[in-house]
Parts: sequence; C-alpha cells; structure tokens
Amino acid sequence: MKLPLAEVEQEITKLWEAEALRSGSPRIELMTLVALVSDPALVDRALHVVSDCVRVHPSRTIVVTWRDGPLAELVADVKLHRADPGGAVYGDAITLEAVAGARDWLPDNLERLALADLPVCIWWVGDLPDFDRLFDRTLSAADLVVVSSAEMDLRDLEKLSDVVRLSRGRYALTDLTWFRLSPIQELIARFFDDERSRSSAKSIERVTIEFAPRAVPGETLEKRDVTSTQAALLFGWMAHVLDLSTQATAWRRADEWSEVSLGSVVARFVPRARGDVPPGTVLGVALESGSARFRIEREEDPSVFRWSGEAPGGSLPTQAVRVALHGEATLLERCIERPKRNALFEASLHASARIVRPVAPRLSGAPRPAP
Amino acid sequence: MADANPFRAGLETERTPVSSVFVIFGASGDLTRRKLLPALYNLAVSRLLPPGQSILGFALPEMSEDSFRASMRDAVTQFSRRKPIDEAVWADFASRLHYMSGRFEDPANFVRLRQTLDQLDASNGTRGNRLYYLAIPPSMFRVVNDCLAGAGLVADPSDASHSTRIIIEKPFGRDLASAEALNADLHRVFDERQIFRIDHYLGKETVQNLAALRFGNAIFEPLWNRNHVDHVQITVAEDIGVEQRGKFYEEAGALRDIVQNHLLQLLMVTAMEPPVSFAADEVRDEKVKVLRALVPIRGADVAHHVVRGQYGPGNFAGNAVAGYRQEANVSPTSNIETFVAMRLEIDNWRFAGVPIFVRAGKRLTKRVSEISIHFKAVPHAVLSAPRLLTERDARGVPEAVGSAVDPDVLAIRIQPDEGIGLRFVAKVPGPSMTLRPVTMDFRYGSAFGGSGPEAYERLILDAMLGDPTLFARVDEVQAAWRFATPILEAWSNAPPSQFPNYAAGTWWPPSATELIGRDGRAWRRL
Repeated sequence: MKLPLAEVEQEITKLWEAEALRSGSPRIELMTLVALVSDPALVDRALHVVSDCVRVHPSRTIVVTWRDGPLAELVADVKLHRADPGGAVYGDAITLEAVAGARDWLPDNLERLALADLPVCIWWVGDLPDFDRLFDRTLSAADLVVVSSAEMDLRDLEKLSDVVRLSRGRYALTDLTWFRLSPIQELIARFFDDERSRSSAKSIERVTIEFAPRAVPGETLEKRDVTSTQAALLFGWMAHVLDLSTQATAWRRADEWSEVSLGSVVARFVPRARGDVPPGTVLGVALESGSARFRIEREEDPSVFRWSGEAPGGSLPTQAVRVALHGEATLLERCIERPKRNALFEASLHASARIVRPVAPRLSGAPRPAP
Repeated sequence: MADANPFRAGLETERTPVSSVFVIFGASGDLTRRKLLPALYNLAVSRLLPPGQSILGFALPEMSEDSFRASMRDAVTQFSRRKPIDEAVWADFASRLHYMSGRFEDPANFVRLRQTLDQLDASNGTRGNRLYYLAIPPSMFRVVNDCLAGAGLVADPSDASHSTRIIIEKPFGRDLASAEALNADLHRVFDERQIFRIDHYLGKETVQNLAALRFGNAIFEPLWNRNHVDHVQITVAEDIGVEQRGKFYEEAGALRDIVQNHLLQLLMVTAMEPPVSFAADEVRDEKVKVLRALVPIRGADVAHHVVRGQYGPGNFAGNAVAGYRQEANVSPTSNIETFVAMRLEIDNWRFAGVPIFVRAGKRLTKRVSEISIHFKAVPHAVLSAPRLLTERDARGVPEAVGSAVDPDVLAIRIQPDEGIGLRFVAKVPGPSMTLRPVTMDFRYGSAFGGSGPEAYERLILDAMLGDPTLFARVDEVQAAWRFATPILEAWSNAPPSQFPNYAAGTWWPPSATELIGRDGRAWRRL
C-alpha cells in the first residue's frame, strides 16, 4: 500500500500496536538503517540484505529508490520486518520512492523519518554516480556511512578519501570492501609473524596483485582500468604500513599488466579473468624481498587460499587456508557492530587514492548536454 | 628487541590466535564430546581457528584416527549449536584432528606424544605452541603434569618464541588444603601465567555483560552501593537432578559443585570495584578483593547463615521423579546436600551492611540463573497505595513485608533467556493513583538476534590467545576455598537430621524462606 509520507509514522504505530496485541512482543529498534539504492537493478538485493541485517541489529530500515516521472513526489510503503510469516518482529521497514525532482527532497525527509536519539547508518548501494550531490547531502544525517568501493569506479577512491577528510569526525565512513580484504591482510601479516621473515617486510621490492577485472566488451587498453578498487585499496594499505611515499608515482602499462613504482617498490597489477568471483576480487598476492618470496593464491574454491613462502631461514610450510566469504548482510552487520572511524582504513584509502590519481583522475565537470 | 611486524600495525582482524596443537587428555570422554569438540568446530565455522591449528586427542582406548574423526563428527552433529554440520568446514576441520592412545601413567607414551607433536609442528607450522586441555579427573593431573615435564613438553614461559598453556577443569580441590596441594603440584611444572582454570560461567555473555552494564554506563554505578542497594540475590537453580553424575555428586554436593566456584564468581563480578583497565590481572585483582572481604561463616554461625537441603521424591513437569537418595550411584542414606542457601556479607566500603542472599540447587521448580539487585524503598511513601504485588513462597505464604511501594529491582538473567530486566512502579491509567510494578526488559535474543558463542567457545579461544581474564587465578580459587571450607567442616561435624527436606520439583526447604525472612526480606519470584 503506497502512502503519502505524512502518514508513515501513524501507520507504523498502528502496525506495532497490532503486533503488541497479537504477540505481546516489545518494540525494539536500535538504529535507523538507510539504504540509498543507486540503481533499480539493485533494489531486491538491498531489500534482502537489510532484512537479514535487522535480525542481528533490530532497526528501522528505509530503502530509498528514485525514478523519473511526471510529478515530483515521495511515496512510501511500510511493514514490519519478520523472520517468517507470523514470526518474530525485528523492526519496521519503510520503502521510499522519490519520483522526478523529489529526489532532491530526500535528505530532509530521511532526517524526519529517522528514529529519535538513535544512530543513523547510511548505506550507499552500488556505484557513486558522477556529478551527483545526493550522497554528499545525506551525510549530514549519518553517524555511520557504509559504501562498497568494489562496486565503484577507480576514481571514486579519491571521492571517498575526500568524504573521510571532510567528515571532521561527525561520522565514520566504512567500506564493505575493506572488510572483504581482511582475510587477505591477515594472511599477508602472518608471513611476517615469523621472526625469520620479519626483516624481509621492510625490504619488499616487488608486489604483484592479481585481480578479476570488470568485463567490458570491446574495451581498449587505454580505457581499461589499471587495477580494481579492491586491489588498489589493498596496495594502499601496504604502502601505508610500509611507509612508502605516495606523492610521486610512476605508472607503466602493457597488455597484460599495469605497474606503479613508489620509490624502490614496484607494484604490478595483473588482471586475470575469473567468472566465479565478483569483478575486482583479489585473486593472488606475491611479495618479493631479496631472496625471500611470499605468495597467497586463491584456489579453485574461492574461499581457499594457498599460502606459501620462502623466508631467509627456510621454507614456510605451505598451507591451504579456508577463509570466510561473508555475504553482504554479514559484512554490513560487522560494519554496524563497529561504528567507529578506523584509522588504518582511512590512511589506506588516502594512500590508494593518491596512488591511482594519475591514472584515474576525478572528472572535472559535468558533461555538457549534447547540442 | 626484534622489530614489530609492520603489517600487524592497526590491523583489526578477528581475535585469531597463533597456530598451536590443542592436546586433549581424555579425548574419549563426555566433556570432549559434549563441549570441547563442538566448541572447536564452532570456532572453525566462525573462522577463528588459525591456519595449521591442530587438535590431538589423547586417551586410553585404542582407536584409529579415522574412528576418532567419525566419533567426533557424531559428537559435533549431536551437540553443536550450529546444525546441520557444514560439510566444507568439517572436511577442513577433520583434517586437523589427530589421535593417539595410551595410558597417562606411562612416560613412554609422552615420548611418543612429543614425536607426534614435532611432526605436527613440521607439517602444520605450529612452531612448538601447545595448549593442553586436561579433560580428566583431578586425581590424574599430577601424573600428566609430571610426564609432560619429563618429556620436555613444557616451554619456559619467558621464551617468547613458543608457548605452552594448560587448561584445567573444576573441581580445583575439595577444600582449602587439597586446593593448595593441587596448585602446588601445578606450579611445580607450570608458571601461573600458563595455567587456565576454566569456570564456564565466566564465558557466558551475560556475566561479561554485567561488567559492561556496570562500567560502561554512568547511571548504574552511582547506585551500586550500600546507600541505594537494600540487598542482592544470586540464584543458580537447576530443574534437573544429578542424572548420571551420582558418583561425582556424592563426593561433591552443591556447595562444592556450584557455590564455591560458579556462584562466588557471580558474586565477585557483581561486587567488584571498577578495575583500572580490563586487563586480566587488573580484573582479577578486583575480583579477589571481594572474596577477601567476605565475612567468614564459621562454627555455630553456619547453622544461622547457611541452609542445606536435599530433594526427595516429587514430580517435575507432570511426571514422578526420584529423590536424590533413589538416584543411580547414590547412597540410600546419603547426607549430601543438593541445595544451599546462604546469607553473606561483604565487609568493605561499598557493600558493608548489604546482605547478599545466594541459593543454588538441583531439582527445583525452574532452571534459572540470575543476579538481582534489590534497591531500597523510597524513603517516604508520598504515593501511598495498596500494594498489588504480594510475593509468596512456593506454598503460598506471603513473604514480603515492607513499604507500600514495591522497591525497584534490577535483574540480570544468565540463563535461560539471557538479558536484563528493571522492575519499577508506574501509575495505572485511570482516575486513581494506583501503582503497579512494570518491567523494562532487555533480551539478548531480541536486541542482538541469533545466539552468541557458547561459553566454551569463548574460553577456549581466550586460552589460545593467552588471555586469562575470564579464568580463575590461584588466589581466587584459594580464597573461595578459604571461605567454603569452614562451612564444610561445620557440616561434617553436624550431619543433617531432616534430609530429604524438599520435594523434587518444588522450590526449596522452608528453612531457606526463614533464612531470608529473618531479615524482613523475601526470595524473588523466579
């Protein structure tokens, strides 16, 4: 049932009262979770994720979409989140559709619909459109902002870096992609837990990151991404922890790879087509330092990595390590569990943005309409 | 000092320990099947076991590794909180399971154990890290410890390159003297930093949440003292009998089995002062101070401040059930207590004069563990109104007397239905000023969804990480026995004359009601 926005709260109150009479269960909501869905094709995914997420974090959810139309208006639909028909309730679910110019009214109305005195999490679903202010305008209402940089263009790393810089502590930006990288970071860090290989960490000379590229038919070398946002973020992290200067970067590219030099360290990004993982996924990482070699490689089963190394004191026992491939809902739950700024993520994001800037600059202005 | 690993700087990964071999002594026993293997499997499901982590079962029965894996799969299928079994995780987990058989008394078996561990180090990169779990009777601890030391299987605790840790299960002694002897035995082989004494109550989320409630909120701690708290009740009530544990229970009883450990742990967490930080020794220092401040109950005072009971035949949930003396492996003339209630006092600045009533027992009406903080009544009943809540005991006798307005109660439920409830009074809507107690409830299940890790998962992970915060330190254990032993001695000098004194499926003996009634207070209805 579509409702005018003015009737939303009233309708939600009725739903909760009916639920209290039916089951006696209390109204528990710990936050407002807003999903701004950038592409109509992602709506079902967003609805599915928020309905999973509220089972862990009972919340008011507001899933926002927009479309063209003749008349600017905001219309809503409301219901309660349930695990199954007649089952336990985990919050109220608002879907909000902005038609035509009403999209500009969204930020104010989201603030109106947010639950009083509880945190607001804004989850931007999908790519960030260029030359669009909606994302920026909704940030003022947020305590936590969640993005998935893996779904964004390489140039958006700089945009996200600016978002962090401009937040001035008012909200925390967190990235589902950063959480996806954590098993890989853990495996890399594990190489250097061993004292025999520790000294190799500071003298790494070459890094190779293999990633699954976005498949764009007919793409020319010049237009092809030099790396994925995920691989760039991973290397940004390495550059930060190894204290590499990201001010002067030199890029080279060939058919099969792209390379960036940061002082004495060369990082090569190698696209490798693979259909069973999302585009951008990191498939392997190799580190070289003198005679030491360290490698992790995603096996046929995408959740398994082969971890191997040759340290100065001898080989590290090769291991097949199964890591968790968490779904989007689980990753979102984890972001919400830790709603705080992560200094390491922010520094890694800034570093990755600086590294890719020469090859993925932000667009300087909106394209002019065709004459 | 070696440089730190730069890739670890600021990395917020899950709390994943370094790889080790987890050796279970007594791997064919019930504890391994019901608790340890399901907990380890669930850690694997949560990806909290590090790569290369190995699990080696050591027990008497001859068994191939395949048979051990099959038996453990059956255990996980039956007792894991996660069902059905995740085949991909199990395949990986099963490959980490190993088994060796032998008698613990034979040092040659420990030489074999060392060889096996060395092989696992070489193949799995566990680098000499060991975690021994003694799932065996305490009478065997000494034998195993000596053999471990004899085979060179205990690392120097100051050697940072690898670690040895040992987890032991209660009972940590039968009284103060035996606890001291046990600890002396352990300390001959292990440093206190290497010893992890497990009390699974400390692994429960709600017990940990009590610290969060007290020290993470500004509104409770100012009230958490003698100026505002009238009394405290701590309850560990079970509805089951001794089941297959008759032989054990005949040696233990409720005081040793529950009160001396679980219940005193709950008391410590309730009454401790805020620690400087949540570091292990800071927390444990504050906990042990509570035990040191407990007013001892000795000699003639025992009869006045402590009640013991034993269940007789009765009914539970519509079925007739046996009394304690009719249970398997129990003497028909047994005088072992299955219920204890006590009035305790803590002689310190915060709680002086605040009685703490504790009760624990088997075959009671309900399974409930909770801590309830009963606040003082309002000093002047401005809103005097007929009291609507009349508290009665199990026989319907009014128990409570006091102010016209029901005092507020903060209840921390540990099981089942983990959560926190606050009872306070509110006006009933209408023309008259009628007050009625209402509750505000926080339930873990509703607020956070799903079920958290089981206590054993949390505690095993902590031991792997070398974090002893949630484990009992030697001085805690000995202070607890220092308190409990005089009561046991008084009881042994004055056997009970009226056992059994409560029927199975009822609440408690009348003397427990009298114990709290003498103070003008009543047990909280559970």
